[in-house]
Amino acid sequence: MRKPIHITAPRPTLEELEKRFRISEARKKELQALVDEFKAMHSIREEAPVNSSEPEKRRKRASAA
Amino acid sequence: MPPLPDPNGVFLNVPYDEEFRSLYVAYIVGLYQLDLVPHLSSEITGGDRRLNRIFKLIQSCRYSIHDLSRVEVSVAATGVPRFNMPLELGMTITWANLYPSRHTWFVWESEPYRLQRSASDLNGTDPCIHNGTAEGVLREVCNAFRRDHMPSVPSMLDDYRFVDNNLNAILYKNGTRNPYDRSVFMELCWLSKTLADLTRLGGPAV
Repeated sequence: MRKPIHITAPRPTLEELEKRFRISEARKKELQALVDEFKAMHSIREEAPVNSSEPEKRRKRASAA
Repeated sequence: MPPLPDPNGVFLNVPYDEEFRSLYVAYIVGLYQLDLVPHLSSEITGGDRRLNRIFKLIQSCRYSIHDLSRVEVSVAATGVPRFNMPLELGMTITWANLYPSRHTWFVWESEPYRLQRSASDLNGTDPCIHNGTAEGVLREVCNAFRRDHMPSVPSMLDDYRFVDNNLNAILYKNGTRNPYDRSVFMELCWLSKTLADLTRLGGPAV
């Protein structure tokens, strides 16, 4: 099995992506609504009385930020 | 000599067909989860010959993924096998052999040992086997690349499901049924990147 490549390059930013692809502001708002829906979905899940896994904890922290 | 490649750039050489769309979405989501930047030949425009534009795109990426999992003879109207993926893989191998510090390529397959039959010249190459599933693609992305603070596969799968569930709405909004269209690819990238930033430990990219 091939050894994984460890990526150390600086992380790309959303601004760089937006320079590469010009998405209209109106369309970006619609996509942002999907992101908000995603955030809301995970907020609901956080309240559910189930074992909280690490990814869920991370989402909680990210949502709170 | 072309400029240095994007150190996060990954050229995606995948079949543009309907049956592959879930894996295509998984590649985009998975690569963004590791803060890599997928590139697709359909994103390039311009008057130059198509093959030259594809070669420039390969040269601009530090890595490439060549998914040879759909090597079957097409059952579509043409009835001929598609040679684009092996052709682009051949171009990439030549480029990487000339300038190994500028490019690293990976071959991906759905079935173990099939590559030895479909392209025996690649014997000695360890393909990433995704078993034809989105989860397999995400797992193999994590096996091929590492980054500090990377997400778990279940967490990536969660993001993948959300993006995949919204693909039809994105297609509708862009007036197309083709998920490989430039406009759809752009929006899948934007959504995947935004979700990756949102869920990453430590918040947005810095």
